[in-house]
Amino acid sequence: MDQPVIEMLHITKKFSKVVANDDVSLSIGKGEVVALLGENGAGKSTIMKILYGLYRADEGVIRVDGVPCRIGSSRDAIRLGISMIQQNFSLVPAHTVTENIILGNCRGLIDYRRKEREIAALAETYGFDVPAGELVRNLTVGAQQKVEILKALYLNARVLIMDEPTAVLTPQETDRLMEFVRQYVQKGNSVVFITHKMREVMDVSTRIVIMRGGRICGAVKKEDADETALSRMMIGHSLEHLTKPAGGAEEKPVGFSVRNLSIRRKSEPPLLEDISFDIHKGEIIGFAGVSGNGQQELCEAICGARPVTDGSVVLDGRDITHLSIRRHIESGIGYVVSDRLRYGMVMNLSIAENLLLKESYGPKWRKHGLLDRKRLNRYAEEVIRRYSVKAPDPSVPGWSLSGGNQQKIVVAREVEAGKKMILFDQPTRGLDLGAIHYVHKTILEEKAKGKCILLVSTELSEIFTLSDRIVVLYRGKIAGIYKPSEVDAGKIGLLMSGYRNGEEKR
Amino acid sequence: MTRKTRAAEAFLSTFLAITAGLLLSFAFLPFMGIHPLSSLGLLFSSMFSDRYTIGTIFVKAAPLILTALSFAIAYRSNLFNIGAQGQFYIGAICAVSVTLGLQNRIPAFLVILLAGLAGSLGGGAVGALIGLLKAKYHANEFLVSMMSTYVIAELMDYLLRTFLREKAKDYLQTDSIDPSAWLPVIVGKTSVHLGVVLAVAAALLVWVLLFKTQAGFRIRAVGLNAEAARMCGIRPETQCILTLFISGLLAGFAGFIEVNGMQHMLITGLDADVGSYGIGIAILGSANPIGILFASVLFGALKTGGTTLGQVSNVPASIIDLMEGFVMIFVLISYFVRHKISLSKTKRLLGKAVKHD
Repeated sequence: MDQPVIEMLHITKKFSKVVANDDVSLSIGKGEVVALLGENGAGKSTIMKILYGLYRADEGVIRVDGVPCRIGSSRDAIRLGISMIQQNFSLVPAHTVTENIILGNCRGLIDYRRKEREIAALAETYGFDVPAGELVRNLTVGAQQKVEILKALYLNARVLIMDEPTAVLTPQETDRLMEFVRQYVQKGNSVVFITHKMREVMDVSTRIVIMRGGRICGAVKKEDADETALSRMMIGHSLEHLTKPAGGAEEKPVGFSVRNLSIRRKSEPPLLEDISFDIHKGEIIGFAGVSGNGQQELCEAICGARPVTDGSVVLDGRDITHLSIRRHIESGIGYVVSDRLRYGMVMNLSIAENLLLKESYGPKWRKHGLLDRKRLNRYAEEVIRRYSVKAPDPSVPGWSLSGGNQQKIVVAREVEAGKKMILFDQPTRGLDLGAIHYVHKTILEEKAKGKCILLVSTELSEIFTLSDRIVVLYRGKIAGIYKPSEVDAGKIGLLMSGYRNGEEKR
Repeated sequence: MTRKTRAAEAFLSTFLAITAGLLLSFAFLPFMGIHPLSSLGLLFSSMFSDRYTIGTIFVKAAPLILTALSFAIAYRSNLFNIGAQGQFYIGAICAVSVTLGLQNRIPAFLVILLAGLAGSLGGGAVGALIGLLKAKYHANEFLVSMMSTYVIAELMDYLLRTFLREKAKDYLQTDSIDPSAWLPVIVGKTSVHLGVVLAVAAALLVWVLLFKTQAGFRIRAVGLNAEAARMCGIRPETQCILTLFISGLLAGFAGFIEVNGMQHMLITGLDADVGSYGIGIAILGSANPIGILFASVLFGALKTGGTTLGQVSNVPASIIDLMEGFVMIFVLISYFVRHKISLSKTKRLLGKAVKHD
C-alpha cells in the first residue's frame, strides 16, 4: 500500500477518571473505508475526536501524509483535509443550507447568490437533492446529514469521519449514503465510520478495526470478517440468544388506548393527526418511522409533557389525557426518553439520585420526612449489580458513566416507575451490543409481567424482533398497523418514506 | 483520596490563601508610611483583644450567613438572586414596623415572633414575586432582583422620611425599639444575641433541606437540568417561585435580626453591603451552607478587626476593603488550583493502573 493519509501512533488519552484510549495506533489509507467497530465507551469516538482536534492526546503522534502534525483544534484538522460529522449535527436550524455551509469559512462581504450556486453545483455532483436556499429546520434529518456532508465537501475534506451516520436514516436513505461513500472514495478520498452496526460494516468498508476498552483488539479485511467473530471481539464474549415469548397478547384485555389524538399548531402542519391505537396488556407495539415524524411528540403527549389538541388517552379505563406529568407518573407510566442527555438524566447528580428523580414527590424514599439515603443507596447498588452497570458505587455522578451505562440507569428507573405501561423511545440508540441486549431483555421481561409497552425505534431489526404489532408513523399520521409476519423490512421502509402503494390499512 | 485528607487539604489551602491575601494587602502600607508588620500584629491583637470584640465577630457574621444562604439556595437551583440587599431591607422595614406597632401592647416574645415572621415573609414575598415574573413572563431574575434592590432602597428612604421617621425628626431613622422587643443577648459581656444562634440554625436547616429532603432534591435537580426534572414530574416554574421565596425569606430574616438584635432601630443605609458580601461569601463557601458558616465568620472577623484597627491606629479604612478583596480573590484561586491538582493526581494514578494492567 502507498503512504497512508493518516497515521495515528501510540495515542493515549485519559479523562479525569477514565482511560479512553490506551496506546492506540491506527492508519487510514487512500481510498479506504475504515469501519471503527466497538461498544460504546470503547474509545472509538475519542480517538476520532483527537484526530479532528476536539480532544488533545496525552501521548502519541499523528502523521498526515507522513508528516507529524499537531492538531490543536478542528480548524487545524480541516486545514489538513479532515472533517468529522458528529452524531448530533452541528447545524444552525434557523439558517439556510448555504449559510450553514459557509459558516466560519467566509470573510468580508458575502455574495449569497454565488455561494448558493456553488453549493447547488456541489450537491449536484454527488446527486444530493438538498435545496441550497432552504432553512435547515425545514429539512428532514436525512437531508440535514447531507448538509453536514456537503459542508465537509465544501471544505475539500479528504478524510471524512462519520459518527454513527445511519442511526437517523431510513433503509433507503442508508443505501443512498453508502452509494455516496463508494463514489467519494473512488476519487481517492477516505472515510472512517464509527459504528456498531455490523451490516453496514460488511456492506461498504474495506477494513474493519475493532476497539474494546480503549484499545484496538483486532483489525480484519472485509473479506475475512464474519459477524459472529466480530461481535465476540467487540464485547469479549458471545451473547445469549433472545427468545421472544409467543404472541397471544391479543386475547388479553386492552390496557391502554389512544383515540383520535391530534396535536396541531397555528399555521404549521400538525405534529400528530388522528392517531388511534390500542395496546393489550403484555403487548409490545413497535412504532417504526424515520425520527422526526411525530414519535417523540406522541410519547410526550402520552406522558403529559405536551398538550393535546384533540382526542383522548386512556390507561386502564382512566382518561389521563390532560393530567400533569407528575400525575402521569403516579398513574404508572414509565418513559425512557430518546434524548438522554437533555431529558433523561441529570448528569451532575449521582447514580442514586438519578434513580430517585421520578420519585421526588412520592413516599417511597421518605423516612420521617427526610430522604432515606441508606435505603436508596442499597437500592442503587442492587441496580448496579442487576444491570451490570460499570460504576464503582452509587455516589459517582451520571456523567462519569458511558452512554450505555447511563441508559441502563434510565431504563432501571423507568421500569420501576412504569407499573402499568412503559414507553421506550429509541432505547438502544447509540448503545453497544452488550447494552442493547440488556435493554431488549428488559423489555421482554416487562412484557411478560403484563405491562403495555410502546417501543419507538428507527432500527427496523429491533422493531421486528420485539414487536407484536408494528405501526408506521409518517408525518404525524399512522401509515399502517401490521403484524410482523405480514410485512417485510422493504415494505415498512417504503411506508416510512411516505409511499402508500394502495396498501389496505388495518 | 479519603474524605478526611480532602478536608484537611481544603483547610490548609484556604488558610494559606487567607494569609497571602492579608500579607499582600498589608504590603501597601509602607507606601503610606505605616509599618505593615506592626499593623498586622495590631489587627490580630485587636481582633482577639477582649471578649466583647470576639463576640462582635459573630454578631457581624450572622447577617452575612443569612444573605449568603439566600444567594446559595437560589444558586443551587441555577437562579441568580442578587437582590438580597433589597429583601434584607424589606425584612428590616417589616420587622421594625411590626415591633414599633405592637411593642408594649402584647407580650414581648410575641412581638419578637411576629416581627421575625413579618421580616421573613416580607423578604420572601419579594423573592416570590421575582420568581413569579420569571416563571410566568420569563423575566430575567438576575436583572429583576438587582433592580428591585434600588426600588426598595428608595422605598425605605421614603418611609424613613415619612411614616417611620423618629418623633424627634432629626435623623433619617426610626425610633428605637423598646428593649423588651430586642433579641436577648445570650452570652454575657458581649453583644452576641439570639439572632446569631438563629442564623447558624438557619444554615443547618438549609443544609438539611438541600441534601436530606425531597424538596431540596427537587431544587437541586431543577438547577442541574430543568428539562430532565420536568420530564420527571417536577415543574421548574413552581420550583423557581418556591426557591426564590425561600431565598428572599432568608434575606428578610437577616433584616429582622439586624433590627431587633443589633441596631434596635432602622437607620438609612443599614448594612448597605450585606447583600454583596453575601454573594461573595456564598461563592467562597461553594454554595454549601456549612462552608458559608466558616466563610461568614472569616469575614465577620475581618470586618471587626478592620474597624478596631481603624480606631487604634492611623491605618485608613480603605485598606480593610482592599484586604477583604484580596482574601476573597486568593481563596477563589486556591479552590481552582486545588481542583487542578486533584485532577492531575487522578490522571497519574490512572496512568499507573493502566501500566500495571
